[in-house]
Amino acid sequence: MLEVKNLTKVYDDGTVALRDVSFEVDDGEFLIIIGLSGSGKSTLLRCINRLIEPTEGQIVWDGVDITEVEPGQLRQIRRQIGMIFQHFNLVRRSNVITNVLSGRLGYVNPWRSLLHRFPAEDREMARAALERVGIADQAYKRADELSGGQQQRVGIARALMQQPRMILADEPVASLDPVLAHSILEYLEQLNQEESITILCSLHYLDLVQRYATRVIGLRGGQIVYRGTREEIRAMTDDEFKEIYGKEAVRVSVGPKGELV
Amino acid sequence: MATRTTRGQVRPSLVPPPVAGVVSLLVPGLGQALARQLQRGLLLLGSLATSVGLFAWRVNLLAPQESGLIDILTKALTRRPLFVAPTLVGLVALWLWIAWDAYRQAQPGKRGGISVFVLALLLFFSLGWQISEINLYKLATELSDAWGPLSRVVWPWQAAVTRDTETVSAGADILSPCDDQPPPPPPEEVPGEPYVVADPTCGDLATRDENLAEVPGTELTVVGRGFAPNTETYIWWVDPIGNEFRMRRGGEYITLQTDDQGAFQIEVTMPYRLIPPSSEGRQIHRIEARQTSTVGALKPSEVLLHNIEKMVETIVLGMMATIFGIVFAIPVSFLAARNLMSGSPVTMGVYYFVRSILNIVRSIEPLIWAILAITVVGLGPFAGIIALTVHSIAALGKLYSEAIENIDPGPIEAVQATGATRLQTIMYAVVPQMIPPFVSFSIYRWDINVRMSTVIGLVGGGGIGFLLTQYIRLLDYRSAGIAVWFIAITVATLDYVSSDIRQRFI
Repeated sequence: MLEVKNLTKVYDDGTVALRDVSFEVDDGEFLIIIGLSGSGKSTLLRCINRLIEPTEGQIVWDGVDITEVEPGQLRQIRRQIGMIFQHFNLVRRSNVITNVLSGRLGYVNPWRSLLHRFPAEDREMARAALERVGIADQAYKRADELSGGQQQRVGIARALMQQPRMILADEPVASLDPVLAHSILEYLEQLNQEESITILCSLHYLDLVQRYATRVIGLRGGQIVYRGTREEIRAMTDDEFKEIYGKEAVRVSVGPKGELV
Repeated sequence: MATRTTRGQVRPSLVPPPVAGVVSLLVPGLGQALARQLQRGLLLLGSLATSVGLFAWRVNLLAPQESGLIDILTKALTRRPLFVAPTLVGLVALWLWIAWDAYRQAQPGKRGGISVFVLALLLFFSLGWQISEINLYKLATELSDAWGPLSRVVWPWQAAVTRDTETVSAGADILSPCDDQPPPPPPEEVPGEPYVVADPTCGDLATRDENLAEVPGTELTVVGRGFAPNTETYIWWVDPIGNEFRMRRGGEYITLQTDDQGAFQIEVTMPYRLIPPSSEGRQIHRIEARQTSTVGALKPSEVLLHNIEKMVETIVLGMMATIFGIVFAIPVSFLAARNLMSGSPVTMGVYYFVRSILNIVRSIEPLIWAILAITVVGLGPFAGIIALTVHSIAALGKLYSEAIENIDPGPIEAVQATGATRLQTIMYAVVPQMIPPFVSFSIYRWDINVRMSTVIGLVGGGGIGFLLTQYIRLLDYRSAGIAVWFIAITVATLDYVSSDIRQRFI
């Protein structure tokens, strides 16, 4: 159970990215955060594993306030939270297997890992993770030789290596063809359903939101402007969607086979 | 540009076109200024004033003895008609053209036009030709004179190899002056050995009388036998105190060719020699015939060995400077990376300070650093290493810091999110991004440093350049040619190797 209480983030230049945001996520939920660019989605996700330090508020995960913990304990928490990024954030010049193994850094002996030495079981695990996302044959290619969809799968494999109990996905399909969006989200849904990993994901396409979310929150100007359950989001109309996204929003749909509707 | 045109159309000329023209004829550029084209007017006035000034200077130099404008111009005109006449015409033409330009600019709807500036540029070109003393005639006529030394530089390899030499010689004693005792006997002839006999065996050396007129010495007939046949033979004179020199006749060295039997006969005149007054006893000189022949296999000459030695020194010099440069540039580059230093005003201050120091150090050429280093550590490769190191730190520091600034923050964020420690984040997200540009820049710098180390010797910083200047000053163009070839080969090889390695790393 993740509880975000009165979370506020003010950047050094005075920008208020989040304003008194509170919500709860039960274990095993697929929570989707919607909102315009700049509405605070990325900041919110990064506050949860403290890649960005919150200014005020609490983030309590299983009774532990993440905003209060010491650096050592923070790393213990971070390694249980996988993260997937819009731009994949792979080390482009390293090979795929090294990128995947870096997901294990929170568990292995820090000194041994500096020499790029990983235990045999971790290597086996990395191979299995790549197998699971269907790119085992690409393991020794450089990350930047892969297509965008393949790179995002490497990102998922890296998150899997953390054996996470929660995954934060920051617009995981925004730099991909709509065709690939479903395949990436299906992996996340699979993890969510088979291993009951809690997923917090920011998304743009209403169709994808309706298809995958078990709960939705909408952000505008750093504040929560919409909360919806699975049923409510299924019933959401374009007008309600525009309420969150602003008047200019145009509905772009992606069918389950990836075709544009 | 567009705004100026718009403004010009909105604000017409202050004066009618003819007035602008006449005003510009009196004060060049003023007409344009009145036509609301102040910049153009100033530029044209500046161009005309500068070319008139430069022209006056050059004309004065051509007629240093004359005074008075007409005299100076006439004299200069006779000395360099091809320069003075067209430039003078050009100046007058520019003046008139500026007036006409003012007339045109003052007309509504007629703006711009670059022909007047083309004329000004042509004038500057003509003056520049004169000032920089370009002399194509000299280049064409004297190039052939340079062919001798140049050809030796182009193909210097005769000087790269040598053979051991062996000298065969025989001589006869000559007494000077003759006295009442018997002159020295001719040497004993041994069959098969070289043998020289002179006749007579005593005589007078050449000298000068009280009027300093030359009194020639005694004529000697020198006969040699038993030498190598058909071989060049030189005649040497050895005086009683052991000084020896090649004998001349009519200013030229005596060189003769032995016949088929290895014999020769030649008339020589006893030379002019000053024997110190302190010398005692009879003055026995000696005349010798010498044949020098090469023996044994070809071997590398001393020049070649020297060049190889210095070339190795050059490459090592460049390498050491690069290593030191890299070692010092890495910490410096962190201080000069904006993204690392933007945290607080203090670090920003450090950033600006380090950046400016790097820019200043980099703008001073390694040759000048070498001259400065020589004043500290003296001539030699160490001074060159210091100079190149200093310059490399500045150049690499800037390149490295830009590589750091261009780092993608995404992977850092991603690795941090896995619960990695700070050190792990650096190893997994920062270092992999840094290695390719670091390697590439370092090899590029090594390339530059070896290239620079070939010339750093010109000012005394060690390496092959030092040898090269020495050879050129001694007019030893063959040896200099070997140095030039070595430099060319090394630089070309390095160029290839470094670009190859860099391509692999990017």
